[in-house]
Amino acid sequence: MVFALTDTQENLWWIAIIAGFVVVLAVAALLTILVLLVRTIDRRVVEIKATLTQAEANTADAALLDTTAAGVDLVLAEGLEHHLFLGRVLGKVRS
Amino acid sequence: MNTLIVLTVVDIVLLIAGLALYLWIVGTQLTRVATNLEECNELVQQIKANAESIEGNLEHINRTGGVVAGALPLLYGMAEGIVVGATYDPEQVPERGPALPASGRRRSRLHDGVGYHPEGPGMNAHAPLAEQAESA
Repeated sequence: MVFALTDTQENLWWIAIIAGFVVVLAVAALLTILVLLVRTIDRRVVEIKATLTQAEANTADAALLDTTAAGVDLVLAEGLEHHLFLGRVLGKVRS
Repeated sequence: MNTLIVLTVVDIVLLIAGLALYLWIVGTQLTRVATNLEECNELVQQIKANAESIEGNLEHINRTGGVVAGALPLLYGMAEGIVVGATYDPEQVPERGPALPASGRRRSRLHDGVGYHPEGPGMNAHAPLAEQAESA
């Protein structure tokens, strides 16, 4: 089986082949840019992860605020006891 | 003719191979990014859980601390009143002169020392030696 091409068809084929190579090069360039951008995203996501890890460590002690609030309540209760005691003593001293 | 076919096949193979290679590279990178983002999501959830108790507890602490701070001046005032009322304040004693014996001159005990007990009018006589010593 023999294919017979005219000059015009052969020229068009060559043009298609050249255009295909150009497209391959363009795709390679664009995909290279894509890979570089994704690599940048990956690096920055790693930095964000490190920052979030630090933030998580910093906020891990926030649970101690419960203990602090209970301690402040104890201070208030002790202050009320002092208030009652001083009131009684002051009444006796004045009388 | 053969050249055209070969170049066409090479062109298609390059396109497919290039796309496959870059797809694999980008897929690997995106998988890593997805893993990191998933861990970031867990960290954000943990931070949110840690921070949820901050606001309520801080409001509680500020409210209680405000009550304590407001009551302290009252306690200071009461304590100062107790100090003023309990401090000893002695009454002023008037100045007086030197203390003098109220019984006057005492009799000599020299006779008693030697066992002599005179009776009669000389019983209360003054001791002469003592009088000499006083006059000297």
